[in-house]
Amino acid sequence: MTTKTSLLKVILLGDGGVGKSSIMNRYVTNKFDAHLFHTIGVEFLNKDLEVDGHQVTLQIWDTAGQERFRSLRTPFYRGSDCCLLTFSVDDNQSFLNLGNWKKEFIYYADVKEPEKFPFVVLGNKVDVTERQVSTEEAQQWCQENGDYPYYETSAKDATNVAVAFEEAVRRVLAMDERTDHLIPTDTVKLHRKPRSAATCCS
Amino acid sequence: MASDPLVKIIYEHEGVFIHPSSDDDDGLEQDLLVSGSLRILDKDGEIIVEYRPLEDTVDPSNMLCAGKDSSSVVEWAQCPGERSHQLLETQQSYETEWDMINAVSFRKRPCSNGEGSLNHSHEKSRWAFTFSVSDLRSITLKEEGWCFLVFKLKEPSASLPALHFHQGGSREFLDMIEIIFVYVYVCRASDDATCFLVSTPNKALSQSFENLLDDNNYSLVNKLKKDPYVTTLGGFSKVTNYLFDALRGTEEQQRRPPEEVADLLGEVIPGLEINQQEEPGFEVITRIDLGTRPQVTRREPLSAEDWTQHQDPEGRMINVSHLKQVIFKGGLCHAVRKEAWKFLLGYFPWDSTLEERKALQRTKTDEYFRMKLQWKSVSEEQERRNSRLRDYKSLIEKDVNRTDRTNRFYEGIDNPGLVLLHDILMTYCMFDFDLGYVQGMSDLLSPILYVMENEVDAFWCFVSYMDQMHQNFEEQMQGMKTQLVQLSTLLRLLDLAFWNYLESQDSGYLYFCFRWLLIRFKRELSFQDVLRLWEVMWTDLPCQNFHLLVCCAILDSEKQKIMEENYGFNEILKHINELSMKLDIEEILHKAEGICLQIKSCKDLPHSVSTILGFNTEASGSDLTDSESSPAHIVSHRQDACSNGHRHLTETSHNGCKVAFIS
Repeated sequence: MTTKTSLLKVILLGDGGVGKSSIMNRYVTNKFDAHLFHTIGVEFLNKDLEVDGHQVTLQIWDTAGQERFRSLRTPFYRGSDCCLLTFSVDDNQSFLNLGNWKKEFIYYADVKEPEKFPFVVLGNKVDVTERQVSTEEAQQWCQENGDYPYYETSAKDATNVAVAFEEAVRRVLAMDERTDHLIPTDTVKLHRKPRSAATCCS
Repeated sequence: MASDPLVKIIYEHEGVFIHPSSDDDDGLEQDLLVSGSLRILDKDGEIIVEYRPLEDTVDPSNMLCAGKDSSSVVEWAQCPGERSHQLLETQQSYETEWDMINAVSFRKRPCSNGEGSLNHSHEKSRWAFTFSVSDLRSITLKEEGWCFLVFKLKEPSASLPALHFHQGGSREFLDMIEIIFVYVYVCRASDDATCFLVSTPNKALSQSFENLLDDNNYSLVNKLKKDPYVTTLGGFSKVTNYLFDALRGTEEQQRRPPEEVADLLGEVIPGLEINQQEEPGFEVITRIDLGTRPQVTRREPLSAEDWTQHQDPEGRMINVSHLKQVIFKGGLCHAVRKEAWKFLLGYFPWDSTLEERKALQRTKTDEYFRMKLQWKSVSEEQERRNSRLRDYKSLIEKDVNRTDRTNRFYEGIDNPGLVLLHDILMTYCMFDFDLGYVQGMSDLLSPILYVMENEVDAFWCFVSYMDQMHQNFEEQMQGMKTQLVQLSTLLRLLDLAFWNYLESQDSGYLYFCFRWLLIRFKRELSFQDVLRLWEVMWTDLPCQNFHLLVCCAILDSEKQKIMEENYGFNEILKHINELSMKLDIEEILHKAEGICLQIKSCKDLPHSVSTILGFNTEASGSDLTDSESSPAHIVSHRQDACSNGHRHLTETSHNGCKVAFIS
């Protein structure tokens, strides 16, 4: 079998300050900066990885979480293969908003079969001591909303970050064996069809 | 020809005639009518127009000749009967010219002798011609009952016979030309709606055009599909399909996400097309030479001594316009900032006395603490019932912890700077509860607080700054949308080739400049450079919306890389995001000022551009050069090597058709 690299677009969504950029940076650069700027606009980073023998390039998109930026954030949902719904375990409101983020994503990403779309839920900041959201609550929400995998992560100490992304990739690959994501590493030039002499009127 | 796999036919139409008599003095041929086919070919990336007379399918003795005077000619079997009627029906939809062909009389050309056949083929090849569209100067559409086109090539000595569309098809031909170059290089001449001008495609343009064709790129096609002009033109789809086929190859492809993203952004940021409207309903696009970009010099920052010299004994600022020019040219020494920023931002009136300012500060201090007390005194229960205040507060707390934390003023835990940043933002929520707190505002406040080192002064300076920036943060972000459209307008004037490239990469909405515009380059430059840039911008010199020219200056430095590396939508966004902290403020300010002077010296600026830069309302920029003792600050004029620009572009909607043109 020839080596194929899949380009998968993954998007991190969740309230401002739950740690979306930190999760992305931890995963891609393996660094953590507690004082990282909040995201303005839209950013993305690429990460190559191998999951179960599949070569994958993850394109991880990170957006500004505030409601006000919605209209200029949502266009970037298009073409996502997976959505990481993120909240912070020390912020109950960010947990309560998960449903809104899911709704917003499905609507703007124009997901054809929402019940089949691979969401993964991340409860970030498990390193902090004062939790407002229990593991059970979060697991229950995931179960009731489509049996999504749930990971308690810490971008700060790297807990579960890589695992969560790998699970995201597995979910995409498992449910989606479509070949159209698979771009052969040897690029194939698609030729335009040479047209036979056509006449538009006789 | 067609067997050559590298040649693709984009358009083909038979029944296109040459009237040799009108192009030729040779009286013998005055009645000759050459019939042939016209094609547009994509020959290995080069777009070729080819005219070929019909091969020897027509016996020379059966040649059709049109007499100018129908009464003097022998009637050809041109019956208004069944056959032509049928033709009429099948072609009527878009062959409006067909009507008149019934009125044209034909006669047999007097049969010549035996050598006619040989002569004929010789004669026929004589009328064949091909030319590359890049050699085309203009196409003129004329009507004399039927339509005919006159081509002019850039090589003036090469004249081509007019092509007569007795069987229709001229409109489709022109539409096709227009479509092909709509984002590249055809335009309609400003003074003559029937004449199309064709620009020289430079290398970058050809490159991007090739990309459009070769990349199995759908964007052009998608735009065509959306274009109301295209969809309303009857009979057009047939021709368009040729282009579709030529562009998309054999397989149906998925739409690429970047295109979908771009389409959606286009819905969010409307107005790019409408904005270009000079005179409603008419397309006027001409080329104006922008001329060379002047090289400018910058000066040393204004010193404390200079500052006090601009004060009268009672503390009024004097010679303010000169003062502003000096600040524009070199910025401020840090020691002056605390005082000068209050004037630049409008907290202090320039003509106020020291006493008046002290009084103002007392009033403003009371006002500030009154508002601060309001949120300070909200009880926990009240807060529980006030979700908006709670949300603002929560986000402010988070963002204060993530703003300029490497700066001394804000670093570490429990730094008083952090408390001030928080309190001022909370108080601003009470000052303007509708707006409240929006992400980005902490970036705008941080340098002001750093300079003021005073809660009340920083608050009121921030209020003044927010007055300018308010629209950017409002619910609909109208300010952001307006700025993106304005920037797009400027970029098209300055550098159409680059703009076309961005457009071809679904990046014409310039979304990648979002962060630049929302927080005025705060994240792009080092903290000290942000201070310099902001004080320069607050002088309102050398023109209105100077920050947009700062964007143009940065893009001007990056365009080469972007186009050479053939960056697509995602790469452009990534590249621009990653410029952060790598930019040189002085280089940018040099270039931006140069661009301003370059545009300003240009006559016949499009109204939209003059409006954006404020050239038609006031002369704020003109005194800039006047005030300099000599033009010595303009060291040299240099042609910007990278600039494909020097083109002036105005664009309006003609029949709803977006046409980008240069001449």
